[in-house]
Amino acid sequence: MSPALSLTAIGLVVLATIGIGLFGLRISRTTSDFYVASRAVSPRWNASAISGEYLSAASFLGVAGLVLVNGADMLWFSVGYTVGYLMLLVLVAAPLRRSGAYTLPDFAETRFESPVVRRICAGLVVGIGTLYLLPQLHGAGLAVQTVTGAPPQVGAMIVAVIVVINVAAGGMRSITFVQAFQYWLKLTALATPIFVILLVWHQPVGVLDSLHGAAAEWAEPLSRAGGRDHPLYATYSLLLALCFGTMGLPHVLVRFYTNPDGRAARRTTVVVLALLGLFYLFPPMYAVLGRMFAPDLVGAGGDTVVLELPGRVFPGTTGDLLGALVAAGAFAAFLSTSSGLTVAIAGVIDQDLLRSRLHRWTGGDYVAVNSFRIAALIAMIVPYLAFTVTGALSLADTVGLAFALAASTFCPLLVLGIWWRRMSTTGAAAGLVVGGIAASAAALVNVSGAPQGGWPRALVGQPAAWTMPLAFLTVIVVSKLTPDRIPAGTARSMVRLHTPEAVDVDRGLPSR
Amino acid sequence: MSDIGDRDLTTYRDVQLSPDFSELRRRFRRFVFPMTALFLVWYFVYVLLADYAHGFMSHKVGGNITVALLFGLGQFVSTFAITMIYVRWADRRIDPDAEKLRHQIEGEPQ
Repeated sequence: MSPALSLTAIGLVVLATIGIGLFGLRISRTTSDFYVASRAVSPRWNASAISGEYLSAASFLGVAGLVLVNGADMLWFSVGYTVGYLMLLVLVAAPLRRSGAYTLPDFAETRFESPVVRRICAGLVVGIGTLYLLPQLHGAGLAVQTVTGAPPQVGAMIVAVIVVINVAAGGMRSITFVQAFQYWLKLTALATPIFVILLVWHQPVGVLDSLHGAAAEWAEPLSRAGGRDHPLYATYSLLLALCFGTMGLPHVLVRFYTNPDGRAARRTTVVVLALLGLFYLFPPMYAVLGRMFAPDLVGAGGDTVVLELPGRVFPGTTGDLLGALVAAGAFAAFLSTSSGLTVAIAGVIDQDLLRSRLHRWTGGDYVAVNSFRIAALIAMIVPYLAFTVTGALSLADTVGLAFALAASTFCPLLVLGIWWRRMSTTGAAAGLVVGGIAASAAALVNVSGAPQGGWPRALVGQPAAWTMPLAFLTVIVVSKLTPDRIPAGTARSMVRLHTPEAVDVDRGLPSR
Repeated sequence: MSDIGDRDLTTYRDVQLSPDFSELRRRFRRFVFPMTALFLVWYFVYVLLADYAHGFMSHKVGGNITVALLFGLGQFVSTFAITMIYVRWADRRIDPDAEKLRHQIEGEPQ
């Protein structure tokens, strides 16, 4: 692998990201904000942007790594990531658009009329976002380390600094462009090496043949290859987390407002699913080829297989060029997802945690924009600190924990909040707290060193199957016990959530 | 939100109680909830099949293409198909009625 070539490619991606960001900033000066600007965007562009933001280090590097090490079970990651979008579309997307709330805390406040529930939600957004940013930083560290041999802190620092600068400058807020560009870059970077390898080989069938030879157990589903116990439980739990967690990811939800109407939002989702499905064809191929060309990576966790494969198959210039392309794609993944997350987290920190305090401390002597900038910095510092103290957990596994936390908190809040009119404010708060504590405890145990094996490891490694039902149950039981705490405006909220948005009902928002 | 008078509140309640509104909501729930359950069952059964029906799943359809592989790819295809079905259904069954309800509420039928 040629470090110079790869670093040049990474540099180009970074420059392009900042460049398009600044360009977007210039043309968006006049439009008041992000949402308005994006409403002019066609479903196809918007779908590219959504996919670009969604495909993170976990998808680009992590899935291939997990499949390489643990075998066919891990293909559920890619199916689950895709199905999550479908759940989001059919269960919550339309009502949430109608609620007029831009963020999860906004929704919580309008639906439950409670600043406490709002603050819990704000904390959860920060928690989920941090858990999701962590693997992006690990991925960046790993990529730079693989390419140049530099310590992991270097790559993580590069991503952290660029994202904070970009977000604080406001560049990322306005442009659907950067994200859309990065989807196509990621797809090209991932697909090209595979096509080149298959072309040179002339017989793709050979790949499947080899699978049924030495690595037969690996190719069997639920075979416990890679030493994971209770594969059936783990698979179900993972599927639940991914299916129901997507709707609670802070950077995903906001994207549904960038469509002009509900019809366009549905169109967009169809395109998103096609784009995601197309992308997810490739990581398993890396895993299969990795089994043949780089079996030594299995012991190392496998997360670098996408980066190293081109060099293993083609020693020389071809391998260097393809390796550089893949490294560039990986950086596009880290940057786009991290930027989207940081914008979402910083928005919440700014609005719910920072602004009022800043106002008090400075006696009102501050500029609102600065509050957002400080929030962006905090949004990145927290996961960076977490990065420096946590060990190298598998990228896709860490992201899975973020999904589990979202599925155990925001999923009950949204699904029950939208469909169940007897849900009480106390029930909402209790569900968030119980689900949040259970899932984050599991995540903390995992990040700081999971139990060795058996049920404890399975339950902690894939917590969603017990934390999500626990949260739902808590909401239902507590709501039944506190019927007097049902928000007074529930009837109004329900009409608002379920009346088509063309109808001019008061949605509790300042006019926009 | 604070300046909502009684008149508006009555409108909300009227809408909520109106048969058209509950029909719209019911129709949405009757389609979406069973569909969601159905496709979750399909994913979960696939996992079970993979575990307990090894013989069936590793049956070779042709060359090295096994039933498991086809089913696996089928997961993506079915996700996409479900989305298409939902979108068509929403376009045909929800949007027109929603329009109708809108005209009723705004009191200007076209």
